Amino acid sequence: MPVLVFIEFTNGKINESSCQATTLANGQGDEVYGVTTSTDKNYNSTLGLKGFDKIFMINDFKNIECLSKIILDHDIKIIISPGSDLFREISSLISISHKFSIVSNVKKILDHKTAITTVYTGKVESEVNVINEKIIYLINKNIIESDTYDKNTDIIKIESKNLRINYEILEETKIDHDISLSDADIVVSAGRGLKGPENWKMIEDLAKKLHAATACSKPVSDAGWRSHHEHVGQTGLKISPKIYFAIGISGAIQHLAGVNSSKIIIVINNDPDAPFFKSADYGIVGDAFEIIPKILKALN
Amino acid sequence: MPDTTSDIAFTEDNKFDSNNVQFIIGPYEDYALARAVELKELNKEIEISILNIGLSENDSLLRKGLAIGADKAYRINSEPFDSNFVAQNIANFISEHKFDLILMGKESIDYNSGLVHYLTGSILGIQTFNPVSYLDIENNKDIIIKTEVESGINKIKANLPLILGCQEPIAEWKIPNMRGIMGARSKELIVINPTDLKPALEYIKHDIPSNKKEIKYIDKEDIDLLVDELKLKNL
Repeated sequence: MPVLVFIEFTNGKINESSCQATTLANGQGDEVYGVTTSTDKNYNSTLGLKGFDKIFMINDFKNIECLSKIILDHDIKIIISPGSDLFREISSLISISHKFSIVSNVKKILDHKTAITTVYTGKVESEVNVINEKIIYLINKNIIESDTYDKNTDIIKIESKNLRINYEILEETKIDHDISLSDADIVVSAGRGLKGPENWKMIEDLAKKLHAATACSKPVSDAGWRSHHEHVGQTGLKISPKIYFAIGISGAIQHLAGVNSSKIIIVINNDPDAPFFKSADYGIVGDAFEIIPKILKALN
Repeated sequence: MPDTTSDIAFTEDNKFDSNNVQFIIGPYEDYALARAVELKELNKEIEISILNIGLSENDSLLRKGLAIGADKAYRINSEPFDSNFVAQNIANFISEHKFDLILMGKESIDYNSGLVHYLTGSILGIQTFNPVSYLDIENNKDIIIKTEVESGINKIKANLPLILGCQEPIAEWKIPNMRGIMGARSKELIVINPTDLKPALEYIKHDIPSNKKEIKYIDKEDIDLLVDELKLKNL
């Protein structure tokens, strides 16, 4: 029974979440089919390596006719997908049209119909059983290391008309960052301990040096020191990087909720009683203004 | 929703332990309501209804919503079993009552599925945007929103009907004043029966992993050690 994976591209490459979804799919089904909107032939050579037996190239994920054709022609019962907003939307369309059940925030797939999911913003892990036979698993980031495979991939192009859009885009503001915060392996995050927006240069320097994304706590974005897009926490972005630097952030429960699935947490704070130290793998007690330049020097 | 500072626990029979937990309107839904009230302040013709799927213990929070500025409250009398159950119930309610602007939170803070707005939109064929951080109405009909997409933020002009998943900074949370609280007492709170639908997901058990970790302190005079440690772990 083939498993279908939705593939996202970031900066011209299949993104890591899609690779991880593919690795999970290879553990579930006989064959793994991918569906993508990218038509760049340059990627074809790497698709077998990523673990795909077949790739369907479509114009637009939101064109449900193309996805319906794939699902019906190949009797797809399991879909594994990164949990991005786009794929939550597409999964919802498929769920309603083809009676799939969606399991969100998947940490582990136990067998065909059971999974471990994270709920209460990562505070709780729940085992969930799906009653339906047709399931979409939306997976969390960095829950598995992606594997490489040696497969011959068939590439099938499905042509369709462009979708009619019934809204008008008035303005597109590109967010000026090289690395997307939700996909970054390393995140350098800072809080009110930095005292003011003018002190973020060292945070940006450290992020640049580590090829990391920058983030901040809620009070910082509320004060307008940094944009709301950088806010990580319960009501901001939830992230799960390999390394999370928390600089001058006390570690309120709401902040932890957004970052507690990071693999390694490094806390830098001049208050030795800051609650964040209780959830940290590494702690440095001291003034960020003194320590960050030292880290930069050590990295050089 | 349990307050964001709550310690979450489950009873032995796998039920949410509500002892010592204060319940709140979900923070994202609270943003949605606050923006609706702001829009009503600009245009008195707007009528705001609030809807919850839950049991009677939620009535006090619905009264709070009325005190903040909603005109009418509805409660579908059922546990909110899963996203599909909630969306099907909301969709039935919307088709019956013909709302044209449906504001929800970006996600619930208990099960975090982030699906109910998209599922409701898919059932009803209504354009859905999520997450939405700005909402305004121009010329009494054009809906102007800002929504996050992968590459950044799009400012969009759309027509009603619309479903929007709201998040900050769409509005400032509102606290009810005494006049609002008094006024809420005479506003309608209507309880309706749920759609007959079985849950699609069954939660077998809940575990609370400990966040407490074995911390290794690095002396601020010995920062090289941190870099070495991370290198050792191939990070």
